[in-house]
Amino acid sequence: MSESDPEKKVADRYLKRETLGEGTYGVVYKAIDTETGQTVAIKKIRLGKQKEGVNFTALREIKLLKELKHPNIIELIDAFPHKGNLHLVFEFMETDLEAIIRDRNIFLSQADIKSYIQMTLKGLAFCHKKWVLHRDMKPNNLLIGPDGQLKLADFGLARIFGSPDRRFTNQVFARWYRAPELLFGAKQYGAGVDVWAAGCIFAELLLRAPFMPGETDIDQLGRIFNIFGTPTRAQWPDLEYLPDYVPYDASAPKPLRERFPQASEDALDLLSKMFTYDPRARISVQQALEHRYFSSAPLPTDPAKLPRPAPKRESANPRVSDFNVREGPTVLSPKRKMRRVMPEREGFDVNAHQVDKIDKHGVEVGQAAGDVPGKNEHVPMSVDFSIFASRPMSRPTINSADRSHLKRKLDLDFQEPE
Amino acid sequence: MAANFWISSHFKQLLDPEEVDVVHPLDKEKGISLEDFKLIKMHMTNYICKLAQHVKVRQRVVATAVSYMRRVYTKKSMSEYDPRIVAPTCLYLASKAEESTVQARLLSFYIKKLYSDEKYRYEIKEILEMEMKILEALNYYLVIYHPYRALSQLLPDTGINDISMTQLVWGLVNDTYKTDLILMHPPHLIALACIYIATVYRDKDITAWFEELRVDMNVVKNISMEILDFYEGHRLITEERINAAFSKLALKTLNG
Repeated sequence: MSESDPEKKVADRYLKRETLGEGTYGVVYKAIDTETGQTVAIKKIRLGKQKEGVNFTALREIKLLKELKHPNIIELIDAFPHKGNLHLVFEFMETDLEAIIRDRNIFLSQADIKSYIQMTLKGLAFCHKKWVLHRDMKPNNLLIGPDGQLKLADFGLARIFGSPDRRFTNQVFARWYRAPELLFGAKQYGAGVDVWAAGCIFAELLLRAPFMPGETDIDQLGRIFNIFGTPTRAQWPDLEYLPDYVPYDASAPKPLRERFPQASEDALDLLSKMFTYDPRARISVQQALEHRYFSSAPLPTDPAKLPRPAPKRESANPRVSDFNVREGPTVLSPKRKMRRVMPEREGFDVNAHQVDKIDKHGVEVGQAAGDVPGKNEHVPMSVDFSIFASRPMSRPTINSADRSHLKRKLDLDFQEPE
Repeated sequence: MAANFWISSHFKQLLDPEEVDVVHPLDKEKGISLEDFKLIKMHMTNYICKLAQHVKVRQRVVATAVSYMRRVYTKKSMSEYDPRIVAPTCLYLASKAEESTVQARLLSFYIKKLYSDEKYRYEIKEILEMEMKILEALNYYLVIYHPYRALSQLLPDTGINDISMTQLVWGLVNDTYKTDLILMHPPHLIALACIYIATVYRDKDITAWFEELRVDMNVVKNISMEILDFYEGHRLITEERINAAFSKLALKTLNG
């Protein structure tokens, strides 16, 4: 059966429609959920040569999206295996923020811009509250639904953060949206990287063009310094300790007003706080949402009333070229291949922490007694109570005398908490 | 993630003991008792631990793998989902989900090295096929919270800071994975129960500290009792009993 058969049913429930494009790890196509009548987007995850099972990036996305349910985050509706491939069912999104920024026929008022950036920050705030870093914030990962809601998508680079001393790769984000600490090689970073990227998106909405389209990492830093000046020690005390730090010729910051003649004072104030050099001093997403920019006039436009690209996609007999917006002549973001970097595989060795150290205790006992694998089926308890009680260690456990004694002792009376 | 357990899928999926201690009808048909069921899960937990030592992954990965396996068996039968393939596959999946990927090739190599018994032998292809089935059985929920993080915050707070005490508590927490506690209780309460047992065992009175916590100590005490019951029961586990349980599983039913 041909894969492109438009009427083909996928796993009974979904009626396959046209292909929407090529995603990070497989084809995305439009489908109708025959149970609800809802239009959905289905990502088919290629399993490659079946060497490493479900794609690592896809698994990350599944894992995180199952925990992240929010109006401003793309909803993973369902997942199912079909013909050996895993399929992810997402809510169908009409367009993305990049298409809107680029569409010359769309006029964005200050209230519209405020609405878009507010929705972006709301989605991001929810991620950060759940200790998830998005790490790939850029306009074409911000999808716009039929109801005008903006939703964060593409969590293939996202990670759970919050453990102290966790080291991550700095090869994240499209270059234009990369925070200076990443460009200087920081491996331990936090929510600030997403804030910087959101700042770039905010600026892009105001300018209707990429704010700092660097061609190389060095060029990217050059552009940042050109606008914000080289960071001083007072501004960013930890800068010189970053792995790839090299001193740059000092340059003075230029007033943001020169770049954004139309923007309000509040907008510029928020923007400058999102572009604070020191990640620790940079405004948090939550603080940004509480900034007076969002409470001052004009108030953010109701999402349902936001301008939308002309609905050429809805034509009865759409041509593929109509759908593939990413192949248009004025591609704003760098090509996908340049942007994507494989996630690091260093995981377990750099993340070693207390758990591992303590666990050695258990491991040693285990190996001592488990020398003949298969014969001795028992991995001994991590806690060998018989050692503490200097009893013969035939089988590591608490003996029944100990247990009843302990049970009695455990049954102390506690005052009920209020 | 620790601060947000209460809004996690893990919290929403916590089960009551009556929901966990259910032998699947297909297994029951083969004569698998609740004891057999628990025994096999414990045996497979040990198997995951052993395998993990060889492929060298963090304890967190082991804990997640065991949680996956135990969750699978709240929904699926051992007759259809052979524990000897489910266990290593859970370790494989957990290693990916916890960002410490282990190659399926490596896993397959150590399975063969550890067990000469061909019932344990599975090819890479079979692990990858089972991965998909396990994802489905888990309904794609992959984030599991563990007591370790709560422990590293709570233990220093108790004022106990000698190494042997810390080791005792960490060991107790590791042992809780030989039971289904992680499916039934919030991880910080499991951590508290382990601290509780350890302090009572070592005659350290921190009752005042427990009383200051805003937790229901009756729940903590109940968890502690369950852990102690496990230690008691563990004495009676012999290889023969495990083999007997597995041979029941191998029986063909009349209709099958």
